[in-house]
Amino acid sequence: MERLHIPVEYTTLANGLRVVASPDRSAPVVTVGVYYQIGFRLEPRGRSGFAHLFEHMMFQGSENAGKMEHIRLINSSGGLLNGTTNYDITNYFESVPSNALERVLWLEADRMRALKVDDENLRNQRDVVKEEVRVNVLNQPYGGFPWLDLPPVAFRNWPNAHNFYGDFTDLDAATLEDVGSFFYTYYAPNNAVLLMLGDFEPAEGFALAKRYFEDIPAHPLPPRANVSEPAQTEERRGEVEEKFGPLPAMAIGYTAPPRGTDDWYAATILDRALHGGRSGRVYRELVLEKQIAVEADGSADTFDTNGPTQMVTRIFHKPEFTSGQTLAAFDEIIRSVQDHEIREDELDPVKVKFRADFYSMLEGGMGAHMPRFGLMHYLACFTLFDGDPQRINTILDGFLAVTPKQAQAAARKYLVPQNRAIVVRRPVANGAAR
Amino acid sequence: MSAKTVSVPGARPATAPALGPERPVAWPRQSVRTLSNGLQVVLAELHTFPKVAAQLFFRSGNAAVALTAPGLAEITATVVRTGTASRPSRRIEEDLRRMGADLGTHAGADSSAISIAGLAEFSGGLLEMVGDLARNASFPAEEFERERRQKIEELRIERTTPGFLGTERLRQVLFGPHPYAIVAPTEEQVGAYTREQLADFYRRYYVPENALLLVVGDFKTDAMFEQIEKVFGSWKAPQPEVQKSPAPPKNIGRHVHLVHLPGAVQTQVLVGNLAITRRDPDWFRLTLANSIYGGAFHSRLVINIREQKGYTYSPRSGAHPLRQQGYFSVHAAVRNEVTAATLTEIFYEIDRMRSIPVTAEELDSARSYMTGVFSLGVATLDGVVGQLSNVYLERLPADYLETYREKIRALTADDVLIAARRYFDSANAQIVLVGDRAQIAEQAALFAEVTEYDAQGKQALK
Repeated sequence: MERLHIPVEYTTLANGLRVVASPDRSAPVVTVGVYYQIGFRLEPRGRSGFAHLFEHMMFQGSENAGKMEHIRLINSSGGLLNGTTNYDITNYFESVPSNALERVLWLEADRMRALKVDDENLRNQRDVVKEEVRVNVLNQPYGGFPWLDLPPVAFRNWPNAHNFYGDFTDLDAATLEDVGSFFYTYYAPNNAVLLMLGDFEPAEGFALAKRYFEDIPAHPLPPRANVSEPAQTEERRGEVEEKFGPLPAMAIGYTAPPRGTDDWYAATILDRALHGGRSGRVYRELVLEKQIAVEADGSADTFDTNGPTQMVTRIFHKPEFTSGQTLAAFDEIIRSVQDHEIREDELDPVKVKFRADFYSMLEGGMGAHMPRFGLMHYLACFTLFDGDPQRINTILDGFLAVTPKQAQAAARKYLVPQNRAIVVRRPVANGAAR
Repeated sequence: MSAKTVSVPGARPATAPALGPERPVAWPRQSVRTLSNGLQVVLAELHTFPKVAAQLFFRSGNAAVALTAPGLAEITATVVRTGTASRPSRRIEEDLRRMGADLGTHAGADSSAISIAGLAEFSGGLLEMVGDLARNASFPAEEFERERRQKIEELRIERTTPGFLGTERLRQVLFGPHPYAIVAPTEEQVGAYTREQLADFYRRYYVPENALLLVVGDFKTDAMFEQIEKVFGSWKAPQPEVQKSPAPPKNIGRHVHLVHLPGAVQTQVLVGNLAITRRDPDWFRLTLANSIYGGAFHSRLVINIREQKGYTYSPRSGAHPLRQQGYFSVHAAVRNEVTAATLTEIFYEIDRMRSIPVTAEELDSARSYMTGVFSLGVATLDGVVGQLSNVYLERLPADYLETYREKIRALTADDVLIAARRYFDSANAQIVLVGDRAQIAEQAALFAEVTEYDAQGKQALK
């Protein structure tokens, strides 16, 4: 078996900013990212959606680069940029020809140092975010299914259980003071990691990082918030109205084992045996064999969460089957992996596919024009959550070592009713638009 | 955490650092060979990750039979993966997983494709899988019926999706009698397909003389050619005849087409007109003009209706290079109240592109954007596969990739003006609005005569 080795160098600046370099001189491009350890899980109460709205504000102007300047400078350097908000991280990233590396670092440092935004920027981006929510959720069939549907049913602690895209009243309530205080609290160099990947010498990259970032003052960070969940004792259920789509849908989420534990490795491989396309048990049974569903798959946010998270199965089933019948068929699949070990001749291919998917993610992971995005993403998570970006070169071992017995034990321990939540999307009058 | 902060006076400039010297962009060397059966093969080695991607294209897609059997190419491709003479459906899926592979079988307007990507250590098996699907698909009756039902349910969902409804209507009104008018079959049409029709499409079009095999990734070219000869060398079939399509309508005047989606809380706005193919000498001019207009984050339309006015999250324009006849379109999903205001800005920016030359700074910035983003694709497997498939599938000049950046750099403000005047056809633009009639009908009528449709694609009776 070929194993890939990724070169990784790692240092910490005097202000606490962690810096990771992964050189690859094979093409004249670099991908740069800054990951802050703050996501929608920890946004302030009464300000649902704020972490994401704030992410938009990071493109609205900083000390030396006014509104649209970040975007103009990256695009006119021949590059692409974006940012995303996740449970526990918010990232800002650029892919550019490698002759723009220094310019990208200057821009990222400028906005880490100081935002320069006003009320008009905030009003503008609030409008933009509302249209984002409309186009992705409110005006789409199955919009927000199930990533917005499940958390309020599955979890009890507000950080895990609220509307991450934000209620419009909360978005409207956000002020410039909120922006300033969120920036000061969480957007500190000592709460972030800078990553550089691609065509540069690490020594040169580290020198530039030092030059542009090291004099940004560190801030005191708030004590780590309690995001733990009270013990769950029974199955939780919810229902959401589907306004447009004609098919009933169902999502089943099982809360995953804590990051980095033996169970976490086993449950991840179990997830890939159940899901992972047409050869996974869920698709095979529900779509191909029993033909109850027309689409069924699932996944877990294995690497990029650092708190309560779920392995989620999504099923779109034929209207002639009830959700009870659908769930019964699903439960049969779960019972089968609890009652019997998954044989090695099934589990080994699952691991081969896991390794292949891992490499694909490292190679791209965000379309054809964002090289090594996935590598950057994983390096950031290993640095921020586990303190060690070198895990990129060893993490596979733990997954590939999972035995049939361990997978079965994980199924018995975690795939149980008192560890799951179920949400049904029920079409209104069987599809208003039909 | 308390950390000592170090101040380095004068170390960081208040303006963005200049760009360093550019490094040359080298596309992977391509080895091109045509087998004795007519199959064109293109190989490119890329050793950054232990993966191999193989794509077998057939130069016939939905447009080949759209006028007699809309969507037949797509359902044929879907069912191809569900069985061969020696492998039942389940075995195919298990074999794929054993090789760490993903498989896609799809058809677009102009081509059908069997695409596989998996671990390099299994490249022989990956190739055999592609060969088996291309030559021995068996179209099992029960798999076909299952896929047919899934396709029908998929269509029902698409008919509630604003993006789909908008594109469907725009293609209809732009292409009229031309097969590109049809982006999806109706439920009835899918219900009427027979297994024999699928097998017949497969026999006629999945043939070596109609095909291009593109393999990119971590392998040795010589060994790969040998393997390909073994898998595909004995494949023989006659070349299909290509039918001529009726021409799309020209100069039809501006018109509004309103697709009524009850309860919509947003309006999907589309504006479009016929344009050109990738083989047209004006293609570079058009794509540069598009990037200044609305094809990039830093473009006029995005700055105007997103960053200044906040009407929308994701406005974009694009030039769509279909093989026989391309088109240009603008998209924005906006809140209902600003539907008319959005159209006003879309046309304002179009007309400005047509009447006033772009500034030197905009031109320079857009040229750098185009050449830079183009070279980002050289660093991913998907990027290389994508560019090579453009070049070889559309039979572009052999030096297309190597000369692309020079050609873009040579363009002037005049070229942009010429492209805008030729291909941003303000006077004949077709406007499509997908939304709730009660919210937007009045605004729609401000721009041209309005025809209304329901979400099933039928013209509404007044």
